[in-house]
Amino acid sequence: MRKSRFAILASATTLLLAACGGSAPPGADDGDQAGSGDTITIGSLHPLSGAAAADGQQMDNGAQLAVDAINEAGGIESLGGAQLELASSDTQGDPQIGQTEAQRLIDEGAVALVGTYQSAVSSNVAAVAERNQVPFVIDVSSADQILQQGYTNVFRVQPSSTVLGQRGADFLAAVAEGAGAEPPRVAILHEQGPFGTAIKDSFSAQAESLGMEITNVQSYDPASVSDFTTQITAVEASGADVLMVAGYYRDGVLVAQAVDTVQPDLDAVLGVANGAFDVPQFPEEVGAAGEGYFDANYHLDNTNPQTQELAALYEEEFGDPIRTAAVLSYDAVRVIADALERAGDSDPVAVRDAIAETELDSLLAADGPISFSETGENENATPILMQVIDGAVVQVYPEDKAETEPVYPAFPTG
Amino acid sequence: MTSAPDSAAHDVGADDGADVQTAEAVSAQPDRRRGWANSIWSRVGIGVVGIAVAILVAYLRAGSGVVVSQAVLTGLLTGGVYGLVAMGLTLIFGVLDIVNFAHGAFLALALYITVVMVNEFGLYPYLALLISVPVMFLLGAAVQRFILAGAIGKPLENQLLITLGLALLIDNGLLLFFGPNPQSVRIPGDTGIEVLGGVANLSRFLAFGVAIVLAALIYLLLQRTRLGTAIRAVAASDAGAQLVGIDTRRIYAATFAIGTACAGAAGVLVAPLVTIEPTTGELFNIVAFVVVVLGGMGNVVGALVGGLIIGLTEQLGALYLPGQSPLLSVFVVFVLVLFLRPQGLFGRSVS
Repeated sequence: MRKSRFAILASATTLLLAACGGSAPPGADDGDQAGSGDTITIGSLHPLSGAAAADGQQMDNGAQLAVDAINEAGGIESLGGAQLELASSDTQGDPQIGQTEAQRLIDEGAVALVGTYQSAVSSNVAAVAERNQVPFVIDVSSADQILQQGYTNVFRVQPSSTVLGQRGADFLAAVAEGAGAEPPRVAILHEQGPFGTAIKDSFSAQAESLGMEITNVQSYDPASVSDFTTQITAVEASGADVLMVAGYYRDGVLVAQAVDTVQPDLDAVLGVANGAFDVPQFPEEVGAAGEGYFDANYHLDNTNPQTQELAALYEEEFGDPIRTAAVLSYDAVRVIADALERAGDSDPVAVRDAIAETELDSLLAADGPISFSETGENENATPILMQVIDGAVVQVYPEDKAETEPVYPAFPTG
Repeated sequence: MTSAPDSAAHDVGADDGADVQTAEAVSAQPDRRRGWANSIWSRVGIGVVGIAVAILVAYLRAGSGVVVSQAVLTGLLTGGVYGLVAMGLTLIFGVLDIVNFAHGAFLALALYITVVMVNEFGLYPYLALLISVPVMFLLGAAVQRFILAGAIGKPLENQLLITLGLALLIDNGLLLFFGPNPQSVRIPGDTGIEVLGGVANLSRFLAFGVAIVLAALIYLLLQRTRLGTAIRAVAASDAGAQLVGIDTRRIYAATFAIGTACAGAAGVLVAPLVTIEPTTGELFNIVAFVVVVLGGMGNVVGALVGGLIIGLTEQLGALYLPGQSPLLSVFVVFVLVLFLRPQGLFGRSVS
């Protein structure tokens, strides 16, 4: 007993000391003469610490894998085989830090930026990128407003909130109809920030136009919520058939636990752009309680052999199943590399012009190759429907992306 | 009111800190005789009536008895968890006058101790208490002795910054060591139990029960043991305690260690209820501070009652004001209580 106490104390001390070493400013050891000569620097801005660190680190890893793959394949050929270099920076999920870090990366010669996960951070980084005329490719951040400022240097790979909410309702209607069920009555539970609210708005408008009834709408604060049993009881009391949830990982797990505790009489739980229900860790964490959960979300394409290869490589390299966010970062870096190749020039303005002309196959499930509209939205970005079946997240709809049939009603008791 | 000289004196230093406690103790005397808002029974009465009215209004708003009874049950159970987390904090706050921002980080550390014990050594989750509590006790003693002791008698900001720095260090140390992926601890056979028309998991009832037991234990420790008497003496007057031969440095270390050990116990009990990430402890920080001030600094029973009130407020408030952060209703109640009783519900220093 004494021994193990001591061991833990000792490891705790080491860990504290290690943390001291780890707190050096990120990117301090990145090359200083970036952007000149044979290396071209791409700035990567993600939350490597803080509440979203799990996704942030995955995304930075994804971007790094893309850079490595391009360098191994001979770099940028039209620039004499120039090598890419990733300058990683930690936004800590803080818009202020994101803003100053974006400026720092640009000052140090980054020709383009990828990032950033949180919409609030992306908004600030977009403003910096626009001011400096440096292209910024958003991997993850769904808020519609970011691309409604008339920016010409900002592009987004993932679908916007509007598309996500609309398609979410479409999928639900299609799956229910396919199972021969009536249009379901839907209760909505969404996080109260701009992300959850935007999804709620576009989802309910579309759902109502498809003949579904919204029985109950509740919102919550994702930062402080610790239990959903009251909300789930209210969902049950409203007589809903389906619960729609728009939120992040931690709260998604709490929802699943509360549904398991309260056992409401539901046919399905559907996430729309949910940060939990389509993440491989989710069924691991909640176990049987997560079985049957749907999520309509942008997602890596499991049916694409290139994506499968990337997923295997990621797992081998980092010992963790890859998340969709990392694939988006991978794609965002590929967009920049492809633009550099076609431009034959590492000047940010030339890169921007080339990005606007992009036609690049995506590793995500999509309607077609990545190509950007006037405002910078990826025109072919779409969510797909996933479901937790036998403890694994699988693609179930639309048919051409499906690995298996959707199970609806999803709960045997429902 | 009584706390006015309090805040002014806090800025000056530890010696004055001792005076503050005496001044507070003295002025609490007439306070208690002053009447309706202060007799313990009238306070309990007002509290019960207030809660009954709140539940009734919630029923009228929600229009469903099931939802309200679920809200009350969930509120009480989460409130117990808040009380559990706040107990250690209130001890440190009340006795040492240290605003311990690292409390949430200590909690996170205990969560990860539980994760390691359960996932690496296959221990039954609650048995991790046997490891977590002593480890956190020693860690608390070491932190007080080697890091915080030097800041005693210095401006309050010093301690504040030290604990804040410690919190960052622990959070990011956990991130470095365990990585950012969420972890979980599950209790075998943790199913829902129906009580009072609501339903909640066994692990929540257990956390609630232990919160009450822990509050009783600390209360007995403070009231009935020599160590407890010495702790209360130091809280009341540092200089006076030294004059009667109490080794105040030892008492400081012991109090901080007990407070940290409470975080250790809370961590194990909270582990099955939350997704464990390096930042999980921070979630509890704000609420814990509110609970401490609401219950009266240094009062463990106050922390428990404060926790229950906050838990209920959160849940019922969500029924009144759907779509608002639960913190809104929490702070409305907080401000109201402090307006009526600036020293907190059970305020006076430790006793």
